[in-house]
Amino acid sequence: MSEVVRRAQPWLGTLVEISATGAQAPSAVAAAFRVIAEVHRLMSYHDPDSDVSRINREGAIKPVVVHPWTWQVLAAARTFSLASGGLFDITVAPLLARLGYLPRHPGFPRCSGQGDWRHVELLPAHRVRLTRRVRIDLGGIAKGFAVDRALEVLCAHGIESARVNAGGDLRVFGPTAQPLHVRHPAAPTRLMPLAELQAGAAATSAGYFAARRVHGVCVTPHIHPLRRQPLPPASSVTVLAPDCLTADALTKVVLADPAAARPVLTRFAARAIVLEREARSGAWYVTELHPGEPYHG
Amino acid sequence: MRDTLLWLAVPVLAASALPAHAVQYLTVEQAQHTLFPDATAFRPVRLILTPPQRAAIEHAAHVRVRVPELTAWRVETGSQPIGWFLLDEVYGKHEFITYALALDATGAVRGIEILDYRETHGGQVRNPAWRAQFTGKRAGAPLELDQDIQNISGATLSCKHIAEGVRRLLATYEVALK
Repeated sequence: MSEVVRRAQPWLGTLVEISATGAQAPSAVAAAFRVIAEVHRLMSYHDPDSDVSRINREGAIKPVVVHPWTWQVLAAARTFSLASGGLFDITVAPLLARLGYLPRHPGFPRCSGQGDWRHVELLPAHRVRLTRRVRIDLGGIAKGFAVDRALEVLCAHGIESARVNAGGDLRVFGPTAQPLHVRHPAAPTRLMPLAELQAGAAATSAGYFAARRVHGVCVTPHIHPLRRQPLPPASSVTVLAPDCLTADALTKVVLADPAAARPVLTRFAARAIVLEREARSGAWYVTELHPGEPYHG
Repeated sequence: MRDTLLWLAVPVLAASALPAHAVQYLTVEQAQHTLFPDATAFRPVRLILTPPQRAAIEHAAHVRVRVPELTAWRVETGSQPIGWFLLDEVYGKHEFITYALALDATGAVRGIEILDYRETHGGQVRNPAWRAQFTGKRAGAPLELDQDIQNISGATLSCKHIAEGVRRLLATYEVALK
């Protein structure tokens, strides 16, 4: 008998919703949540015992052995940093902590303030070393990775269709296309249909819920890695990609520099949909960045 | 740089966007069964926290105790107590969440399940001057009100309130249930 299960639990700093249809749905969803919990345990910035915290605490002193999953996410992060010329960077954590988006870890070594993704060295046997005193946060891509792993588990249980949504990082699987909605940046509790999704992943980054004032300036947790400054809460970026880790990583690249993001989207078979406000008229526009489109720079 | 972006630009009308959504994931009974599949009895315990208890909880959890009533069930297998099922509500600027916290017999967290999730409208949507700034409409996107919206790719609604709620319930356990 086919059963529909839809559950939600708080993990990775957001609400994770999993739904599945199929005879095995109850046990499949339970197993998928266990995988999400495991990714949370390994990659949480907040948890002082996670792989991420161990790297931040000891990585500059000695190589730290991490779980193969953590290593895999770090390797992916490095690929996106390389491909985007540093527009994706997991070492903006100290700035996020200063802005109040990440907790301060009093016992951790001080950051040098210099250094970036290039100073996170990946060594054989799942070891990680920091060649400068940087601090990493896998935040968004850990969420994307968790969604990808959870969907794998659901598929392995032989379910008919499924959806995993971790606070906007989502992935669907099933016989029919499903409409994808995004929040309107100026009215985030209102939803807009944006695209159809049959397989593959979507991720949205926007500042609307997270924007806050720091010294009178409105900031978001999205940092321009090269300028090391928070981006203003100006737009909402949705990336559609084959997997959720890629989709989440590329939203950061598009937010930082839409023009520079074009070839990066092409390389990873992704497309981006940007919602932004035109400064002069104040009207909102949907813009699509297709990998196949010619560049009119 | 704008020129590189404009070719597919379509104006958006916020007023035509669908209203906030609400989901019921589990009923209380379903949540009890999900969190304690091996339980044979859920014994309701209704508790009103005294002012000193509330103060103690607030001191320990650094969270305000807005409601003095606690909705709890003592969970048993056979006649053996195996833990607690606590029902709680938290709300933020945009959302209202009902969730259940399961504790084992030692008071450690066994699991958390969301029962209800409701989003509220921002007050600004009703303001005509605010709405007037939106011109045109999204092409090719018929809107059906009341349709079940399942795929929302939006920025994260923070789980801060749930985390605070769990902290408050753990302190409540120490003060009133242990």
